Amino acid sequence: MAASATPLPEGQGLPEVQRPNIPSAAVRFPAIRTYDQVDREIAATLGPSLGWFGALGTAILCMLIGATAWTYQIHEGLGAAGYQPPVMWGVYIVTFVFWIGIGHAGTLISAILYLFRAGFRTSIYRASEAMTVFAVMTAGLFPILHLGRPWKFFWLIPYPNWRLVWPNPKSPLVWDVFAILTYLTISSTFLYIGLIPDIAILRDREKNPIRKAILSTLSLGWRNSDREWRHFTRAYLFLAAFATPLVLSVHSVVSFDFAMALVPGWHATIFPPYFVAGAIFSGLGMVFTIAIPLRKAFKLEHYITLNDLDAAAKLCLFTSSVVGLAYLTEFQVAWMSGNRYEQDYFWNRVFGQWAWAAWIMLICNMVLPLSLWSQKLRRNPSWLFILSLFINLGMWFERFVIVVPSLSHEFEPWQWGTYRPTWVDYSILLGSFGWFFMWFLLFVRQLPVMAMAEIKEVILPPMKTRYDFSHDLTQGAIDPDETGVAH
Amino acid sequence: MQGVLGAFREVDSAVDAIEDLKKERFGDITVFTPTPRHEFEHVLAHGPSKVRIFTLIFGLAGVTFGYWIAVWISDYWPIVVGGKAIAAWVPFTIFGFEVMVLIGGLATVFAMFAFSGIPRLTMTVGYDARFSGSQFGVWVVTDPDRADDAMTVLRKHGAEEVRRER
Repeated sequence: MAASATPLPEGQGLPEVQRPNIPSAAVRFPAIRTYDQVDREIAATLGPSLGWFGALGTAILCMLIGATAWTYQIHEGLGAAGYQPPVMWGVYIVTFVFWIGIGHAGTLISAILYLFRAGFRTSIYRASEAMTVFAVMTAGLFPILHLGRPWKFFWLIPYPNWRLVWPNPKSPLVWDVFAILTYLTISSTFLYIGLIPDIAILRDREKNPIRKAILSTLSLGWRNSDREWRHFTRAYLFLAAFATPLVLSVHSVVSFDFAMALVPGWHATIFPPYFVAGAIFSGLGMVFTIAIPLRKAFKLEHYITLNDLDAAAKLCLFTSSVVGLAYLTEFQVAWMSGNRYEQDYFWNRVFGQWAWAAWIMLICNMVLPLSLWSQKLRRNPSWLFILSLFINLGMWFERFVIVVPSLSHEFEPWQWGTYRPTWVDYSILLGSFGWFFMWFLLFVRQLPVMAMAEIKEVILPPMKTRYDFSHDLTQGAIDPDETGVAH
Repeated sequence: MQGVLGAFREVDSAVDAIEDLKKERFGDITVFTPTPRHEFEHVLAHGPSKVRIFTLIFGLAGVTFGYWIAVWISDYWPIVVGGKAIAAWVPFTIFGFEVMVLIGGLATVFAMFAFSGIPRLTMTVGYDARFSGSQFGVWVVTDPDRADDAMTVLRKHGAEEVRRER
């Protein structure tokens, strides 16, 4: 939620209209003219459709496949998941780090870009925040899935108990519990707080008494009064200020799971910034994967404009460059370290048994994103969507390359081994995607996928004398293809 | 509570009406707006939100509790791990930070709820569903003998609808 819109200039309050590819504080969404239009078009995205049911059914089926595999694993033991010495961390930890990373872009977009007043966040932050919450929910399952007795997971939480046993606060695994639970709580709170004014809009439009009662409860009796907005905007700002270092801390803490160990390839001080940049990069990839089909399916091209995609693509390119630099720095550090185990490990990474995985990572995360130097490709939603799939793939393999080759190629040759995921690993990986998309699909049809109140904040407010945009459209000053307005 | 409600289509009309109402010494004015706007902040001239005080106090309480719980646990079951001191403040900073964000963030939200008067079980007088959509509402608490004056001001500035409520 933006703190408040910029007041219009003195006089008639008519700012100069600019082309959509030159957004300004006054004209961010040239094709959106009235508050009613915002309510009408975004409320129209709610309600089920045949395609939505198909997607939801597929997601639930995938989730059930994963649930079945987990049930089998609980019955048979963790050995069913393909772990054997020396590789005792595999697909589960890889996928855990992957989903935590996905969860980073949401708070980056909603909090960090909010503090930086980046205008392009307005249309995509709600979907990104929801993505964050569901991704962290998904990630949180994996440490539990990795336990032989998952029903004991609460032992990691420090609470007074009859055993007088406490977790070790010097263990990175306990740090993870604190960091991830805090992140999940604050991200969920941030999402819900931002939703309250929009739920109030839906409440006031709703005719069905049951739905109206539910929305009334969820909106907490919000009335849009100046008093509510005054405290709301301040609280939102402080939450954003808290969430910003939290984003950076969570993946740093996750990286400590590795960096605190002495294993070659893990014991590196570069890991926290490397992980954070990678997390934001992968999260942006998933934002494209989600936002571009949403934009198309809900006909919201004039909300998620090409300018917004262009700006997000530049951020994606930047984080790709940081990640690429981190990859190369790792090799350089190994080369200059004089540490034979480190050097051997990194040689093995790109030319040894796991070379195929490393090259998937390097191509998807370093080479393909270079295409975003082209403005034409940055403004091409189809290419951005395809690229985002490669980024998702590459970032999953990045975590695979970090976890598995290190464990399979430690100090002594007699320790070396290999790792083959079983059908249980693959099924649970598939199930995690089903779980994530099930929640997301339920969200997009029940609650507004865009922040209605905030979009109203950045469009021109109704004044005594209003600007006539139709003139600009008919004169060609605004390209209808860019705005999404019909000819 | 009784008063007069005016519904406006334009921001500047509502702002002008509020300025005149203040000149006429109507003190208790509430604005309903679909989105926060500086124009209303300026004309109403309320002070800054006190939410910040709760953020600070509970943030400090959180960081203290985070360090304390880690130190207490270590002291209760003292094991030397990785050559670190029993109460190792560097790794315990993670607990201090995370709990600060957790407690401080939640306190901020609860403070916002308390100051805004939500959750609210029923819509109080003066609210209209239009004010979450596209219109701006000005609600003036006034005695019945001054209600006509307030209605005149609201109408003069182009209120689409003016009505008494109680």
